[in-house]
Amino acid sequence: MSRGEREALTGLITSLIVLALFLWHLTDLAANGALVGPDALQIWARRVLVLVAWSIGIAIVVSVAFAILHAVVTGERGDDRRDERDRDIDRRALTFAWYLLSFGLLGVIIDLALGATALRAMNLILALCAGSEILKDALRFWLYRRGA
Amino acid sequence: MARIENRIRRLRFDAEEMTQKDLADRVGVTRQTILAIENGKYFPTLELAFRIARAFGVALEDVFTFHEDDGR
Repeated sequence: MSRGEREALTGLITSLIVLALFLWHLTDLAANGALVGPDALQIWARRVLVLVAWSIGIAIVVSVAFAILHAVVTGERGDDRRDERDRDIDRRALTFAWYLLSFGLLGVIIDLALGATALRAMNLILALCAGSEILKDALRFWLYRRGA
Repeated sequence: MARIENRIRRLRFDAEEMTQKDLADRVGVTRQTILAIENGKYFPTLELAFRIARAFGVALEDVFTFHEDDGR
């Protein structure tokens, strides 16, 4: 497994864990009634900032754990080089992620124009960021697997 | 539809059965990239194509061939 392939897989695992964490925390906030009232956006933003810090930690733990696991299971150190094919795969995956983000943002703006709240819009933007990240890593992993 | 074929596998065999890893190290890419090129799944940049040809000491046309279908 090349470095790029490992990065795609660990990125995908990290994104899914982080998305689950975000959904759990934000659902919890909503259930407790913290997202109602004039300071709802402030509470939401503070919680999201904490979760972003957690995400960085999770990304580091997942990539270190995966590197160790990969070395133990396969018995090989792995090729740490990144070459033109890695960059080509990155570019192709990023293009689709960018389309999702761009059209999604347009959808959020339309939603706002139709009367959606700012909190709903922010949640949708957060979901779009997570979704495009997952799409990017899933596409990268798929492209590596099919040998592109 | 046009297609590009390569003779890398044959050239490796002729070069004392050079491994994909050896070729990858010589041209500065991963073994997976050489595998993808050999299988026609990835088309290298012109720079890498020249590097591969140089690694075998042959001309670019001896490694890669371009075929254009008659019904263009």
